[in-house]
Amino acid sequence: MTTDKEKRRAISREAARRRRRVESEVFEDLSRLLPLQQSVRDHLDKPSVIRLTLSYIRMHTLLTGKTGTKAEASHKVKCGQVTDGQMIRHEFNGGYGEEEEKERYDADASEETNMYLRILEGFLMVLSTEGDMIYLSENVSKYMGLTQAELMGHNIFEFSHPCDHEELRNNLRVTAEEVWSGEKRDFVMRIKSTLTHKGRSANLKSATWKVLHCQGRSKVCVAPSSVSCLLLTCQPLPLSHTLLSTQTFTSQHSMDMRFTYCDQRMTLLLGYSTEELLGRSIYDLCHTRDTNCLTKNHFNLCFKSQSVSGRYRMLVRGGGYVWVESHSAVIPNAHSSKSRPGANQPLCILCVTYVLSGVEEPSLQLSLDQTVHI
Amino acid sequence: MRPQPPPGTPVPVCGMSAGGCDGAADWPADVSDGSSLPAVELPRKRKGDMEERLSMDCKMEDDLSRSEEEDQQVKIKCFREPHRQIEKRRRDKMNNLIDELSAMIPACQPMAQKPDKLTVLRKAVQHLKALKVGTSSAFADSTNKPSILPQDDLRQLLLRAADGFMLVVSCDRAKILFISESVSKILNFSLLELTGQSLFDLIHPKDINKVKEQLSSWEYPQEHMIDAATGLQVQTDAPIKPTHLSSGAWRSFFCRMKHSRVAGKQEEKHQLPCTAKKKDTSRYCTLHCTGYMRSCPSSQLDSEGDAETPSLSCLVMLCRPLPHGSPQSPKHINAKPSAFVTRCAIDGKFTFVEQQATTVIGYLPQEVLGTSCYEYFHQDDLQHLAEKHRQVLRSKEKIETQCYKFKTKYGSYVSLQSQWFSFTNPWTKEVEFIVSSNRVMSRGPGHIKDEEAGRLKAMQEEIPIIPSLSNGVGTMIYAGSIGTQIANELIDSYSRVNSSPSSGASSPFGSTNEKCPLVSPPISTSASSGGGAASSSSQSDSRTAAGASSATADSSGQVSQLDLDGMVVPALSSFSSDEAAMAVIMSLLETEVNVGQPGDYEDLHWPF
Repeated sequence: MTTDKEKRRAISREAARRRRRVESEVFEDLSRLLPLQQSVRDHLDKPSVIRLTLSYIRMHTLLTGKTGTKAEASHKVKCGQVTDGQMIRHEFNGGYGEEEEKERYDADASEETNMYLRILEGFLMVLSTEGDMIYLSENVSKYMGLTQAELMGHNIFEFSHPCDHEELRNNLRVTAEEVWSGEKRDFVMRIKSTLTHKGRSANLKSATWKVLHCQGRSKVCVAPSSVSCLLLTCQPLPLSHTLLSTQTFTSQHSMDMRFTYCDQRMTLLLGYSTEELLGRSIYDLCHTRDTNCLTKNHFNLCFKSQSVSGRYRMLVRGGGYVWVESHSAVIPNAHSSKSRPGANQPLCILCVTYVLSGVEEPSLQLSLDQTVHI
Repeated sequence: MRPQPPPGTPVPVCGMSAGGCDGAADWPADVSDGSSLPAVELPRKRKGDMEERLSMDCKMEDDLSRSEEEDQQVKIKCFREPHRQIEKRRRDKMNNLIDELSAMIPACQPMAQKPDKLTVLRKAVQHLKALKVGTSSAFADSTNKPSILPQDDLRQLLLRAADGFMLVVSCDRAKILFISESVSKILNFSLLELTGQSLFDLIHPKDINKVKEQLSSWEYPQEHMIDAATGLQVQTDAPIKPTHLSSGAWRSFFCRMKHSRVAGKQEEKHQLPCTAKKKDTSRYCTLHCTGYMRSCPSSQLDSEGDAETPSLSCLVMLCRPLPHGSPQSPKHINAKPSAFVTRCAIDGKFTFVEQQATTVIGYLPQEVLGTSCYEYFHQDDLQHLAEKHRQVLRSKEKIETQCYKFKTKYGSYVSLQSQWFSFTNPWTKEVEFIVSSNRVMSRGPGHIKDEEAGRLKAMQEEIPIIPSLSNGVGTMIYAGSIGTQIANELIDSYSRVNSSPSSGASSPFGSTNEKCPLVSPPISTSASSGGGAASSSSQSDSRTAAGASSATADSSGQVSQLDLDGMVVPALSSFSSDEAAMAVIMSLLETEVNVGQPGDYEDLHWPF
């Protein structure tokens, strides 16, 4: 190698180093501007910084963009929220001196948000029409293990079960008609979760699937730039720790939705005795026009292991029907013999059904089951 | 951010499973800048590296099994592999991100050429600074936890996504302590009307007990919980009231709440929940309420709060309406398939029929595919629909039809109104298909019954479904030809455009065009129909004749009126070539001699 070449190489190396330094400085500046905690900021690499910046800008556009009456609505809401916020503070924490007001406001605002999120028992996700997770509320780590900073900006298709991708794509499609009326979304999807039983966060490679019930609507901004996205609340579907009221009953079914057990409240609410129902399929008991709803529910249960049915009608003994909603999950059959530990436990479906209405159309008889036996 | 490596350090190359493809943050960046020689050094395993965990797009990672040793082996292996590929992938990803960023920043938009990475980043910094100036100081320099979204906005988004409202009620009297603004969108009552009222005024009378139960469970000795592991109910007889009322106890229930049709107006005083009269004609919507118990100091809550209850509980919940609104009587339930989409070829033959069309027309999609839509149109509507058909083939806009009748499987007719739109292939500039968005105008009361009645009627009258050439149900064949003719006119117009104008010579068949009205009446037996298939065949003349457009104008009246009885001319829709059609024309020309003798076509030789 001639000295000439060597010199040139050295110069280019030096230039490259300078470029690198400048670039890193700019990245530093950018990350500092992001509203993140210092601990999070330290661990960000360059692509993440860009991802988070993108999220930040997109959310900002979304919130300030005009969606019909969004501009006024936003203003009204901001004032309204402040009043509401004060109200809630006064109710719960007593009044504050003027000086502390602002500080307290910040603290309370954050506490209020946390309360909202806690009540929701889930996290908020904003998805672009391509499936990019533009925004995730901070508590996503409680459900997915991965943190907000790690996930924001990535694409949902990387984290959801491949079999659910089709359904996801259908839901992401925002049609032109939705510009002014945000269409609702309601579906169940499986998502990767790196939470272990102990609550620790494992590596993504050993992630398990978690079932989430996603509900929300589409939101379209027309100006300044056309941005459309889905606002979704994602909740895991717990069946436990639900206080059952008198208008709720539980039932267990085999995987083909035949009753294997139901509690006596069913008799009070619907009029059938337990013996009558054992072995009967739930499809027999429901209004024909709700078959689609039940089928979808059944499908979700078989593939995703949990489901929320939406409203459907159950026929009542003697005539008429009640509107109900079922939250169901697939669980290992507790009644099976325990003499074979380690063998695959047969599964059954556990349903918690909420009765939503009174008996409607009591004189309508749609099924022989409804006729009163003498 | 990782500190810069001191100059001269060998640059590690492969950030594979250990360091992650993109995880080796700064260092591969150096390589990508085109500096120095790649060094051979194993990258350190960085545990907290996000990108490592998220490097889904590294193809190699997918092929890995999960053991450590294999990781090591691959690490070594990947150095031998063209690391350029990995680097390239990483660079592409970074470039994509930079592109996305530049798309989002207004300052980068009007640039003539693509701005370079550094510029984009600098502009991003400026943009963020500008954004911060404009927004509230909620996260600017507060000591609280900063977050990407200001708290207010997050709450707002949450309520919007959940499409619900927050509700806080005291447990003893169900007094509404707090309700969020979004309630006005859902229940149509304003905040002022609701705050301070009793929740029971809002709730459906039959659900009051249920809600009472949820608010104060100490009156109910048995706690019903489910053990999700076994699916069995855990019944605890001992009243564990304190724990279930204490903060953290979860509640989830459904109830019906009143909602007013219109956003609360002053005149509509009777809609206010507190002044509800005995006979309640309000509408209810079903809500799913979830939340938890909170204890709060009573002094602020209730002026009547006494010393006996130093700490009151309240229930804080999120109320979301169920997707389909309130359960109402069946008369109000809008059966979904009142509109459906179909697609047909330019000759009117169905190529796609939406599933839900079946509930309207009775036929399954596969039963009608390939058949012409004209076969189902009522006679009276044929004319106007053919006209619209012509129009839509020549226009780029949506064409609205008037109401027309469509024959269902059971013989009855359903009133439809459609919007037609033709799709033109942008390269060949020819119309490829027509999309029809059909709306049911009226079914009459209880349409299900109608269908049944129709079915019964059909069975009674035994209308033969198999079309034959010599009876009244010949509509099925001949109607189809209308569509074909219209389509053929269009094709002809294309070929005329494309071909030389020499085809403008007058056709030897030109004279037959005028004759066609004469041909039909003696043949047809029904008064309303004229033209008939003879005219349809003369339409095919016009296909080859130059005066096609004039011919169509002439015979547009006839096209829609088909001879429904006894014409033996085969469906022209089965013709796909000019030659075959020519053959038919020839034979028909022969028959013209026998114009006065209807029905005597047995000796004709049909070309198919």
